[in-house]
Amino acid sequence: MFQTASMKQTLQFDQQSCRLTLEGLPDLSAGHSSDAIGILTGWSLAWVGRPEELEGRREHLEAILRVVLSYARYLISGVPRRVGAAEDPASISPGEDGRHVLLLRSSQAGVEPLALGLDDAELADLVRVLDRLRLDPRLQVSLPEDPCRPLRAREVQGRTPLQRRLSGVVGGAAALGLTAAAAWLLPPPPAPAPAPGSPPPAAPRG
Amino acid sequence: MVTIAPADSPTQRAAAPAVAPAAAAVERPLSRRGLERLDLLLLCVEALDFNGGEAMVWISAQLGFTELFPNRVELWKRRCHNPLRRSFRRGSLAPAETDALIRILGVMAERLYPMLHQLLASSEPEALLQERWDLFAARLGELVRERMNPRRSGVQRLLDPVAGAPLRRQLILSLALAAGAGGFERLRASLLDADG
Repeated sequence: MFQTASMKQTLQFDQQSCRLTLEGLPDLSAGHSSDAIGILTGWSLAWVGRPEELEGRREHLEAILRVVLSYARYLISGVPRRVGAAEDPASISPGEDGRHVLLLRSSQAGVEPLALGLDDAELADLVRVLDRLRLDPRLQVSLPEDPCRPLRAREVQGRTPLQRRLSGVVGGAAALGLTAAAAWLLPPPPAPAPAPGSPPPAAPRG
Repeated sequence: MVTIAPADSPTQRAAAPAVAPAAAAVERPLSRRGLERLDLLLLCVEALDFNGGEAMVWISAQLGFTELFPNRVELWKRRCHNPLRRSFRRGSLAPAETDALIRILGVMAERLYPMLHQLLASSEPEALLQERWDLFAARLGELVRERMNPRRSGVQRLLDPVAGAPLRRQLILSLALAAGAGGFERLRASLLDADG
């Protein structure tokens, strides 16, 4: 494979609040066209109005892609929840003030994790940027797939308040209890009088 | 500039397909809740865009759904499968029809994305933001009162000035996340969620 500096490719994905830039080279040995990126050499994510510009290894980009798109999947269903474990390079969780906290951990020892508080608009921009990156035909690099699947019943339980979820069960149980109590209070029907000429009931033995 | 980690030597991986494979087609119809949400999202689009109804018909034709929705009435009939509607039609929609409605919604959300962004951005001045939300809530309220059954608790909650605010925000956020390249699969999967 013969590559020169002039073959360096840059892909840029812009939204109102962020810009994702990817740099890399086409992998000519894999038959890529000259405007494709088959070997990722770097990436950066810049935010409007924030001094931080994120850079990192490919693993960090993959981690951001995985957790943000998965988080967006839960969010569109109305069940925001933390995605990404404590030891993962990236995780995202709902914040206290309605923001979304994207936490990035450096692979370098002694570097504190970086927390970015994103509002809904910034998160939507980031999701759009990552969607475009994932689906761009010029990027010939394998990336995590978007886990778009319907959520199971236990995953969406938090969408309905507990009070409303239990109201049906409690109402049904109360109705059943009232009916049982009313039936218990009713006097038993009188025993039928014995017909004339019929033998008296047998006395119990012993 | 904050560096998570230094960009190290070039990393080469197996080449990926040029375009992510399309998700498998919907094989089951939307639940009642899914139909409710889909129609409410379309209603939000109409609240944001005065010509939303016209635009939907035009986009439907542009996307090649003329056979499914040959005219405005047919489009309206499909939306009337929403159980919250005054003129509710029983039965479920065919997966091809719901797919088409989600595609139309995605294109509309893409067109309206700047407005959605404005509503969701916390950097906007508070008074201006509140004014925008009030305007949206008023327009949506008009449409909901006109078309939905006011005896349904879901409709009453949506019209409630306080309790309805988070619902309206969730609808706008859903529209923002449904816009763009990956929005179709995301929204479709969410409409197919199990009932909680």
